[in-house]
Amino acid sequence: MKQRTLWSAILVAGLVALAGCGSASDPDSAPGGSKGKLVVWDWKSGDATASSYVKKAKADFAQQHPGVTVEFVAQPFEQYYTLLGAAIQAGKGPDVMLFNGGGQIRDRADSLLPLDEYVRDDKKRLAGWEAFTKDNKTYAAPVTLQGHPIYYNKSLYRKAGLDPEQPATSWDEFVADCRTITKATGARCFAQGNKEGIGIQFFLSGLGSGVLSPKEYDDWIAGRRDWSSPAVERIFALWKEADDEGLNNDGANSTAMFNDAFAVFQSNKAAHVIGLMSDVGHWKDFAEFLDADDVGVMKAPVVTAGATPRLPYDGGIGYAVAKWTKDPEVAADLVRSLTSPDALKSFHADAGAIAADRTVDVSSAGPAVATIVSEIDRGKPALHVALSSKTVDLMGRLSQQLLSGSVTVDSAVEQLAASDRAG
Amino acid sequence: MSPIGSSGRVAQAGRPDGALAGEAAVDGRGPASKSPRVRNGRRAERLAPYVLVAPAVLIIVVLRLWPLGLGVNFSFTGDGERNGATVGFDNYAELIDDPLFRTALRNVGWLVLLLPVAVAIPGLLATFIYLRVPGHQIFRSVYFFPAVLSPVIIGAIFNLLLAFDGPLNAVLGGSGLGPVDWLGDPDVAMFTVVGVHIWATSGMALVVFLAGFSTLDPALLDAARVDGASLARMIWHVIIPGLSRTIQFVVVTTMIGMLTSMFGLLYVMTSGGPEGSTYLPEYYIWVQQGQMSSPALASAASTVLFLVMLVVGLLQVGLLRRAGRED
Repeated sequence: MKQRTLWSAILVAGLVALAGCGSASDPDSAPGGSKGKLVVWDWKSGDATASSYVKKAKADFAQQHPGVTVEFVAQPFEQYYTLLGAAIQAGKGPDVMLFNGGGQIRDRADSLLPLDEYVRDDKKRLAGWEAFTKDNKTYAAPVTLQGHPIYYNKSLYRKAGLDPEQPATSWDEFVADCRTITKATGARCFAQGNKEGIGIQFFLSGLGSGVLSPKEYDDWIAGRRDWSSPAVERIFALWKEADDEGLNNDGANSTAMFNDAFAVFQSNKAAHVIGLMSDVGHWKDFAEFLDADDVGVMKAPVVTAGATPRLPYDGGIGYAVAKWTKDPEVAADLVRSLTSPDALKSFHADAGAIAADRTVDVSSAGPAVATIVSEIDRGKPALHVALSSKTVDLMGRLSQQLLSGSVTVDSAVEQLAASDRAG
Repeated sequence: MSPIGSSGRVAQAGRPDGALAGEAAVDGRGPASKSPRVRNGRRAERLAPYVLVAPAVLIIVVLRLWPLGLGVNFSFTGDGERNGATVGFDNYAELIDDPLFRTALRNVGWLVLLLPVAVAIPGLLATFIYLRVPGHQIFRSVYFFPAVLSPVIIGAIFNLLLAFDGPLNAVLGGSGLGPVDWLGDPDVAMFTVVGVHIWATSGMALVVFLAGFSTLDPALLDAARVDGASLARMIWHVIIPGLSRTIQFVVVTTMIGMLTSMFGLLYVMTSGGPEGSTYLPEYYIWVQQGQMSSPALASAASTVLFLVMLVVGLLQVGLLRRAGRED
C-alpha cells in the first residue's frame, strides 16, 4: 500500500511537472479531405427526408466541379458538437460542416473561413444571415430559418366560444382568454417543457418582442443589452408568474420540451405552445395530430405599451467552410450548391422546414406556414440566439430555479447580466 | 540494474552452498560450457522477463499514461482565444469558482454516502432468496432482469414512470398523497436517479451475494435456528461475518459502478438538471468539452476527477488487501 501510494505520488508529481509545456492540439494544423475530395459533416444527410435535398445539391455541385467527390458524414445530433469539437481540436475536422445559427458557430468562428466574397450573389435570395455572422463576417450560408412562433389550437378556441381567427393582442386579454379556455375545456394555457432548460429560451424569444420596446430589442440584438431595464426583468417575472398562476401544464421542470411539451399541445391539453419553424415541434408535426387548419399562429401579446410584436427568427442551420480546407473556392461552391433554390425546395417539401430561400413556394403547406412566411420580412432575430452558449446554459438553470422558487427574479437577472458581460 | 536481476543475486547469496555446487558442476563439464551459445542463452534468459512484460507495459504507457499526461498538460492551457497558450492554474481556479462543478463534486460525496444502501439492498434480497422465501426462484430471475438492460432504455422507462403526470404520481394522487416531482425537484432528483441506478445494477450484486452464500456453512445457520435466533440476529451474527469477503467485493464494484457508469442514466433522465442538481463530474466534462467548446477546462475537470478516483481506488485496494490478509 505504502509503495503504491508512493508510485501514485510520483506519477502525479511527474504529470504536474510536465504541465504547461504546450498545447495538446496544434492550433495551426491542416487536416480535411485531400485535393479532389470534400468531406462534409452534418446531422441531416442521414435522414430519409433529406435524401432528395442532398441528391439535388450534389448534382448541382457535380455540374460545376465534375472531378471533385463529396463525402457526406452524418453524425448523431446529440453528439455532433462534441465530436466536431474533438475533431477540430485534434486537427481532423471536415472541409464543410453544418452549424446551428447563434452561439455554436460564433464559438467556433476562429476555425472557419469567412464566406462573404463567395456568397455575395446569394445575399438577397436567402434570409437569416445574421445568425451566422460574427464581427461583420459571414461564416455560413443559411439552409433553413428557425424561429419561435406562438402556435394555438383553434378548435379549443372554438370550444370555449372564442373567435379562433381573432386571438388576443394584449397580455391581459390573452390571460383572460386562457382562463375561459381552461374553464370550458380543461386545457391549460401553455404547453411548457423546461426539463432541459429550453422552455425559457422559447419563452424569452417568443414573447420578448411584446415586452421590450423596439429600440431595446434592437440594442439587445446588437449586443448592447441593458439587464437593469424594467422590461428585461418583466420577461423573467412573467416567466415565473405564468407558472405560479397555473398557465403552464403541471411539472414544467420535469417535462421535456422535446417532445413531451409538444405532445401536451398536440393532445389538446394546452391551447398554446411556443414552438419552432423548422425540423420538429412545428406546423408539420402539429398537423399530424391536429387538423392542419386548426393550427394557428399568433403574434406575441403586447405586455408593455409601445412594444411591437414581431416574428422572432434566425438562420436555423447553415453550412460553413473550415479554414484549413485545401481549396476554399471549391468548398464555398459546395456550400452554394447546398443552398441552391432547387435543393432548398426539396428540403422544405420533404423535411418540413421553412427554407432560407424566400423564392420557395409554400402555398401547399397550410395556413400556419402562410402566416409565418408572411411575417418573415418584418421579423427580427430571436433574443436568446444573441446570447453566448454559456449564458444560455446558465439561463436554463436559473429558469428552473425561478419556477421552483429557489432564486428571485432580481438575483436571476443579475447573474445573467454578469455572465453576459463576461462574454 | 533491474529489480529482477538483483533479486536473482539475492537468491544466490541466500544459498551459498547451492551456488558453489552449481559452479562445481559446471567446472566438471569442462571449458566447452563457457561457449558463446551458453552466454547468449543466459542473456536471453535475462532479457526474457522484459520481453514478456513489454507488451503490457507498452499498452499501459502508450494508451493510458501518455494520453493521461497529454490531458493533464492540456489542462494548463487556455480555451478559445487563448488556445494553446499556457495559463497556469487558471482552469482550476475557474473550476473552483464554478458552482456547477462544486455541485458535481458534492454529488460524488452523496454517492459515497449512499453506498451502504446500494450494497444493503441486494444483500438483503439475496438473504431472503437464500432463506427460501416463497417464490424465491422467480424472484432470483426477476431481480437479475434489469442488469441486462442498457442505461438508456432504463432511463427512458423511468422517464415515463416518474413523469409528473405519469403512473407513479397517479397512484400517489389516488391514495391521497400529493404528487412528487421526481425528476423536476432539485432536492429529490439526485436520489431518484441513484435509486434507479441501484434498481438497475443491484441484480449483478445479488448474483455475487448468492455465490457468496453458496460458500456459507449451512450447519452454522441450522445451529443458530436451533438456538432460537431471530432473523435479525442470524443476519448480524452469522451471515454478515460469513460473507465479509463477498461484501467487500460488492462494496468495491458498486462504488466503481456508481462513479463511472451513471452518465447514461443522467443524460437520459435529467440532463444534469433540474437547476444543475444532478451534475456529476463526467457529465460536467462532457458538457464543457462539447457544448461549451472549452476542452482545456474539461481537461482540468478530468484531472480533478482522476485524482478523486485515484484516492478512492487506493482506499479500495487497501480495503481489499486487508480483507485478503484476514483470510
